[in-house]
Amino acid sequence: MDIFRTVVSLLSAVAIPALLLFFLVYGAFRKVKVYEVAVEGAKEGFTIAVRIIPYLVLMLVSIAIFRASGAMDVFITLVRPLTDLVGIPAEVLPMAIMRPLSGSGSLGIMTETMRAYGTDSPIGVLVSTLYGSTETTFYVLAVYFGAVGIRNTRHALPTGLLADFIAFLAAVFFVGLVL
Amino acid sequence: MLNHIWLALIVIGILTAAGRDIYDVTQNSYGNGVPWMLQIESPESIEAYGEPVNAVLLIPRRQIALHFKDFSEHVDVRIPARVTLTHATDGFAVLDMSGGDVPERFKVMAAALGGEGMLTVRLRHNAAGWEAAIDPVSLVYLKKVTNAAFDIAGVAVQIAIGLIGIMALWLGVMKVAEKAGLITHLARFMRPITVRLFPDIPVDHPAVGSMIMNISANMLGLGNAATPFGLKAMEELDELNTKKGVATDSMVTFLALNTSCITLIPATAIAVRAAAGSSDPAIIIGTSFLASLTATIFAVTISKLLARVKMFRWDRSEAE
Repeated sequence: MDIFRTVVSLLSAVAIPALLLFFLVYGAFRKVKVYEVAVEGAKEGFTIAVRIIPYLVLMLVSIAIFRASGAMDVFITLVRPLTDLVGIPAEVLPMAIMRPLSGSGSLGIMTETMRAYGTDSPIGVLVSTLYGSTETTFYVLAVYFGAVGIRNTRHALPTGLLADFIAFLAAVFFVGLVL
Repeated sequence: MLNHIWLALIVIGILTAAGRDIYDVTQNSYGNGVPWMLQIESPESIEAYGEPVNAVLLIPRRQIALHFKDFSEHVDVRIPARVTLTHATDGFAVLDMSGGDVPERFKVMAAALGGEGMLTVRLRHNAAGWEAAIDPVSLVYLKKVTNAAFDIAGVAVQIAIGLIGIMALWLGVMKVAEKAGLITHLARFMRPITVRLFPDIPVDHPAVGSMIMNISANMLGLGNAATPFGLKAMEELDELNTKKGVATDSMVTFLALNTSCITLIPATAIAVRAAAGSSDPAIIIGTSFLASLTATIFAVTISKLLARVKMFRWDRSEAE
């Protein structure tokens, strides 16, 4: 585990400089006018970022309203019978519900839960595994679809949420195995 | 689907906030209109009227029970304050609500009255002692909802603007790699996997290269580099899209891979664990890896299965 960790952290530290060096030097080697071409590509950065704005604003506002109202407590009461059935501990339910909605919100919940139950307790390990193993689905969908102006997202949201749910079940299972 | 959930979050949020506020009004949860009896413990003696001095206000537990009927902890509360007396029997105090042992309800009241952790009360001395009057607090949750909506609208724009720099950098570098033919090489190399995942994309299409870059950056926890690669991939996928404004099967599969992405090192979670004093912060590496691997396998399968469900089928989906 320690060797794996060292290798991966080394890789992530070296990846960016190595990539920059390799791409640009290889480009120059293949007679690409690197600076001119890079500037041309960089221009798109602005358009894409600006195109995302309306999607991101509306998505985040809807999530912020839900969070500020404290509706999550009500929601937890509603889904609890279901999650009890599949064995998700009630203590991590706020995390499971917040994780796909908000990155900063779930970071706060992870910190709170670990403070309340201990970082190395089963609940503490589970809640940080949950945080570490999934993404903020709503944010990703808003940004990625926003960038290309997709309004009809078809099955993307149910797929993302089901995958989150599977990730939670898997996290509960694997943390149970380890501890 | 997204339409309904988006609307549901807003409707549920506003109705819950309204419901809670109505409950608070009927229960008078904030003790509106009932004066607070308290004691002023002043380490500095009050010498001149109109001059503020530092003091501590002691609110006896009986008073708290009287005002917050549903409040569980009933202990005496001491709150530091700046007290200004205008006469021997009149004055006002600014209470500092930021302290750790101040009951949450007071903090909510301070926030609802717009004081940024400070709560101003009017003081009056009568036969029973000092009496403090606080402005009535109402519609706390609806105000919170309003503020949250306005605040986050600004934050969303900041997030998008913040992307510009990093997007420009990586899209520039990617353009060079593309011109040099690197992205096509990468796409050809990963062909055995990608033809199965994305059957409707030509094998050496640049979208494949960008998607591989995005997933690899995500696995290494390089979020800053991952987003530009991913958005570039979406643009290239959209070039193959025959119905603009509608997500293609490949886009959904790509995002399924992206959101459930295999995590090699959950860096943020480990950092928070270390900061919280864990004896083994990295213990979650194995569990996160296995959980995310499971999720990724299921995510791809689910995206393929749901694509055939009637309500999501490509040939039945229109751009609104």
